[in-house]
Amino acid sequence: MDAPIYYSRAEYIETDTGNKVSRRATIAGPQNIILGGKTIIASGAIIRGDLRRTGPGHAVVISLGRYCLIGEGCVMRPPYKTYRGNFNYYPMKIGDHVHIGNGTIVEAATIGNHVEIGKNCIIGKFTIIKDCAKIADNTVIPPNTVVPALALFAGSPGQLVEDLPESTQEMVEAHTKGFYARFQPAAAER
Amino acid sequence: MAPSVEYYCPCLAASPHPPPPHLPSSSYSFHPLHNLFFCEECDAVRCNRCVMVEVSGYYCPNCLFEVPSASVRAEKNRCARNCFLCPNCRNTLTVVPSDPPNDGLDRTSPIVSTSLGEPPFFLFCNYCRWDSAEVGITFEKPTGLAAQLQKYEDSAPEALEFDRLKEHFEPFLRASSSSSAITPSSSHHHSNPITAAASSALARDIPGVGKYNPLTRSRSGRDKGAHKTDIPDYKARVEVGSAAGLGAGGGEADAEFVRHLETVAEVATVEQRWVNSWASSLHTGDLKPLRIPLQSKKSKRCPSCRHILIKPEQKAQSVRYKIKLVAANYLPAISVSLPHARVALEMMKRSALNRSTAQPEDQNPAAAALLAGKTYSFHLSFTNPLYDPIQVRLKKAQAMPTPGSEAIGEKAKRPPFQVNLPSAAFPIAAFAEAWEYEDDEDMFGLEDDDDLDGLGRLQKDSRGKARTVGVVEKKANVTVVAGEVILTKEARGNVKFNMLVSYTYRSDDPDPTEGNETGTPSRHASNKQPEMKNFSFYTVVDLGPIVPREETRHDTDL
Ligand SMILES: [Zn+2]
Ligand SMILES: [Zn+2]
Ligand SMILES: [Zn+2]
Ligand SMILES: [Zn+2]
Repeated sequence: MDAPIYYSRAEYIETDTGNKVSRRATIAGPQNIILGGKTIIASGAIIRGDLRRTGPGHAVVISLGRYCLIGEGCVMRPPYKTYRGNFNYYPMKIGDHVHIGNGTIVEAATIGNHVEIGKNCIIGKFTIIKDCAKIADNTVIPPNTVVPALALFAGSPGQLVEDLPESTQEMVEAHTKGFYARFQPAAAER
Repeated sequence: MAPSVEYYCPCLAASPHPPPPHLPSSSYSFHPLHNLFFCEECDAVRCNRCVMVEVSGYYCPNCLFEVPSASVRAEKNRCARNCFLCPNCRNTLTVVPSDPPNDGLDRTSPIVSTSLGEPPFFLFCNYCRWDSAEVGITFEKPTGLAAQLQKYEDSAPEALEFDRLKEHFEPFLRASSSSSAITPSSSHHHSNPITAAASSALARDIPGVGKYNPLTRSRSGRDKGAHKTDIPDYKARVEVGSAAGLGAGGGEADAEFVRHLETVAEVATVEQRWVNSWASSLHTGDLKPLRIPLQSKKSKRCPSCRHILIKPEQKAQSVRYKIKLVAANYLPAISVSLPHARVALEMMKRSALNRSTAQPEDQNPAAAALLAGKTYSFHLSFTNPLYDPIQVRLKKAQAMPTPGSEAIGEKAKRPPFQVNLPSAAFPIAAFAEAWEYEDDEDMFGLEDDDDLDGLGRLQKDSRGKARTVGVVEKKANVTVVAGEVILTKEARGNVKFNMLVSYTYRSDDPDPTEGNETGTPSRHASNKQPEMKNFSFYTVVDLGPIVPREETRHDTDL
């Protein structure tokens, strides 16, 4: 069984639903961000909930499901475009069991469930990533790309490398749950 | 590399024994557990190399449209909607109007509504900035582009030539399917009328090309003679010599082009020309947008009994399956770790903790290495996927002298390492849904040492090394056992060995084919005497590379 991953208790804020958010992460516009529970935001991550659609009323800018991980130094920024002469931001929706590696920049429109994104990737504007897909480390996904379910994409620009095994969903789920369980405050500070 | 365990699939081989772990070719026989299937009918593991694959549906990987098989043929396996790949970089192209965008930014991300905008429209790559206007392809309307492009494709000389070839051989194809059993020797693939016709066409005299006369032709010539007369010679649309003149590549024109190159970028790379079945132009400027090739969803069958192992749901983007018989639901999952390496990593992480969160990566400090001449303990963790408890027994497979290795002169030397595995059978508790869901924290042991139930309590030395061979830990449906590896002083390469895993489980279904199975009577004093069955499989355990003695000093110096 894998070893625990320790963090300094002072660094993380834990919410009622088990989300763990680093104090060293930048959460802009928190009122526009939804975290599903048991989701970890690591240090140095930047989440731009402030980049909301113009207009009145409350708007969800970025929503994350359960058991997600936003790695160290990730940037999550909603996509934008000019449509009929109007510049606007569009919401970003991320499902359950999604892990995003360190240093990755995400401007996707939707990311499904059970998706793994590697380190140092760029996920372009309005990208759609379907369930159980995987993006290898250092991949550049250009704007508007569609990544189908159970596909592994790699390279720059990212391209299909292979189909993932039929048991991907179970494996990713076990991994994300295991990661959350192993992510513990350092013993010395208990 | 972290230590790993992979599972053996015999792929219907006659011998049940796996190949020696050190041969590079052996890696094809071992697979991660999650890539394997399990046939209940045959009671056997199957892998992607041996299963029979059938297409159960086609879809476009970009627009995700599910394409009926009838259209797949007509549209030549490519998407017939507005989905194109950049011929330069293989990114997906976007349809853009030719009126200037209202701000400079938009040009790099032309997500402009195609309903407005002025014609002509063209295809644009937002990754490498290639656009189809460069190669003279523009469209009056932003819709139905694929049909227009397919018209070009279908009228290309190579496509016409291929159609003509197909037409030419059509009668023979039909003849062969209706009279496939004429000659008893027709199993020989050279005597098939289609291949005979093809080879006679290929062997035709080509001006300026010497006649190729393989020896095999004289052998198959006799039985082929019967068909040969029925097949008229194929007459090409375009004669070989003149193809270069049509811009199809080759010849003096290419030499001239290369002679006057100014930048390498003017020549299309092999990758860019790869998709063509025909020799194509060398010029980057001649690359055409590509309609996106379709993808398929696949069903998989057991190669032996043909029962379905994998059957996906119809919907293209669904990740659910109507049938999914994967080995992970039948065999215990095994993972391996080296306690001494773990301790070393932990020390490092703790010291680094004050900087930021430590992530468990493949860092490999010298303290975590396997040094020649030393003895190490390793932990094998078994996770039971079954709803009943199982009894597991381990055995190291004998390193059999391979017939090949002796020939090379690699005589039966003293093995570089010796492995000790627990000899007694050990239990693994049943899988329970309750452990899987919600607060899994208990399972992963926030309380470190309390769960050791006396059975396999080990004396740990100051560095946390467990010296004993046996059960280390039992928690939920996971049992961890310790083994030991003794490295010789001269040991080199990876500590890699085959391990036979046998487990006894309770069979649920009253088995009609009883007698075929290696059933063993129950050891449990249960009131109903449940039927026990045994299943064995081979694995390869790789503990990682051995660090030779001389290098050790270097490593610690760094
Ligand atoms: Zn196989
Ligand atoms: Zn399409
Ligand atoms: Zn391109
Ligand atoms: Zn079978």
